Amino acid sequence: MKKPILIIIFLIGIIISLSIVKVIVYNGLSTSGVYVGKVEEEVNFYKTQNAKLLEKLLTLSSLTNIAEKAKKEGFTNEGNLLMVLKTSKPLAVRP
Amino acid sequence: MKWRYPFVFITFLIFFTLVIGRLFYWQIVKAEELSGMAKSQYNGVIKVLPRRGEIKTSDGFPIVANKVSYLLYINPTEVKDKNKTIYTLSSLLDISIASVSSQLIPDRLWVPIKSGIDAKKKEEIEKIKLPAIGFEERYARFYPEASTAAHLVGFVGKNEFGEDKGYFGLEGFYDRLLKGKEGYAVELHDVLGRPILAKRNNNARGSDGGNLLLSIDRSVQFLTEQKLKDGIEKYGALGGMVGIMDPANGDIIALSSMPSFAPQKYWEYDESLYKNPFITNTYEPGSTLKPIIMASALDAGLITTQTKCNICSGPVRVSDYDLHTWNDKYYKDTNMIEVIQHSDNIGMVFVAQKLGVDRMISYLTKFGIGKSTDIDLQGETVPSFKARSAWYDVDLATTGFGQGISITPIELLTAFSTFANGGKLLQPRVVTAFENANGEVLRIPAKVKGTPISEKTAKIMTEILVNAVEKGEAQWTKLKGYRIAGKTGTASIPVKGHYDPNSTIASFIGFAPVDAPRFVMLVILEKPTSSIYAAETAAPLFFDIAKDLLSYYGIPPSE
Repeated sequence: MKKPILIIIFLIGIIISLSIVKVIVYNGLSTSGVYVGKVEEEVNFYKTQNAKLLEKLLTLSSLTNIAEKAKKEGFTNEGNLLMVLKTSKPLAVRP
Repeated sequence: MKWRYPFVFITFLIFFTLVIGRLFYWQIVKAEELSGMAKSQYNGVIKVLPRRGEIKTSDGFPIVANKVSYLLYINPTEVKDKNKTIYTLSSLLDISIASVSSQLIPDRLWVPIKSGIDAKKKEEIEKIKLPAIGFEERYARFYPEASTAAHLVGFVGKNEFGEDKGYFGLEGFYDRLLKGKEGYAVELHDVLGRPILAKRNNNARGSDGGNLLLSIDRSVQFLTEQKLKDGIEKYGALGGMVGIMDPANGDIIALSSMPSFAPQKYWEYDESLYKNPFITNTYEPGSTLKPIIMASALDAGLITTQTKCNICSGPVRVSDYDLHTWNDKYYKDTNMIEVIQHSDNIGMVFVAQKLGVDRMISYLTKFGIGKSTDIDLQGETVPSFKARSAWYDVDLATTGFGQGISITPIELLTAFSTFANGGKLLQPRVVTAFENANGEVLRIPAKVKGTPISEKTAKIMTEILVNAVEKGEAQWTKLKGYRIAGKTGTASIPVKGHYDPNSTIASFIGFAPVDAPRFVMLVILEKPTSSIYAAETAAPLFFDIAKDLLSYYGIPPSE
């Protein structure tokens, strides 16, 4: 066979094989949309959970919350507070 | 039979002409419309909303962050039991029946009902399994420290297009930086609406908003707010404010004003509460302005600390007005140290007259009075001086003791800081650095705006102010062992052309420790009722906060 015909056959062969590869790849990818959708859903879920946990963390570590909790536990500068002990005996008993 | 060939040829020609014509119609004439229809079928444009930047205090804690919230929407075409849906949503979301009912327009597919629903509420609604409703996830502003520093941070509301927009304080001033840039992502879908990976295009993504790093010390801010709240209750004041600045660089350490509002539910408060009075309210500062006037005269070389006041033996008459001291006590031949110590109005008239109108205006301008301090908060008011031609002798005299002139608290705090840092006037600032979405930090350097007085004058004035604390009216409340420079101010309130005799604005301004000032603080109480005098209201509150601040900074007593 003559050289130009060989080149043409070779090029046509490449075009056909690349087209087949493209069809195969696209075929594979077309079904991965479902997988991508699931992954995105999962990522969004974790993002949301992360944001919710951060909200909780910031609320718990805020000074407003700590001061409120501390006051409940009796840490206060107010001198007129009456502390009621729930135990039957004082904490320190003279021997 | 010859006609058959032309007949077949012409038939084919007509047929192909029709086909080509039709193709031309679809491909050229209708191309754009069809292309659009096709795109709308498989293309999905997703609006990528940027996350608004956080506002962090000096310890890196976000006092303004974002939390997940939900928008509840409804598809009216899918509503089966209209009445049940209306009543259920109305009771669950705490909105009127009429409001829900008006939203259920039959020809619409998507109607928003309520935004800002938290996760707990969402779960509660989902349990009911109402048909036709759905949730859209969004981010809303979240304030871990509740209403702390509300005036400082401002709030996020909506603009005329229903988009988030920052108003007042930092949210307003830095709105463009905080809000970020909206982006769009194009996504191709298959026939079932699933995304096609090979055709995903994220090129048009925007960017999240930048974060602000503040000079505000969260602990000091919290402490200040608690003390101010207690102080307002204790002294029966209408309101109050406290501003604390680092005199070394102009950093605002804490800024608190009351009554305040909760930025999370700003719409429940009166609009008048949104403004930050520390930068927007003007008032006649009274005696807290005396050190500025005295320092001006000292710096100009018109007086020394030992200059005798030769008009201080009694009230003085200026332009048909009799001017008195606040307690009608007079000190003959008193010197300038004692003038500040006794907060002597007549002594200050003497100083003001020595200074003259032109020098007075010149020095006040150098101290930044009558000009914007350029603080990075939205809404600063700039009260200007009256025209030079409108200054009469009595104006000069009364300005000497801080009446007849209006300033904002931030102006006074900034001007007073010059005594604590060797005479430099600094630009007050709340934001010290920006952090972009990639975590890159850009620091903002401190800015010196001028040097109104020399270092020597600043030192002399500091000692005069230490003496005022040690021997003045507020000496009973001073902190033992610490050298603190300060001045009380009991300012009369102008009402319809005269001063209200029964109410005052009580203030105290000072800095500590004198040898290496760590903070300058201004405390203002509006119309205290337990006493009208600052020495009995604002001064004890100042020292109460100062005591905790010195302890917080680990500064031991020097004496």
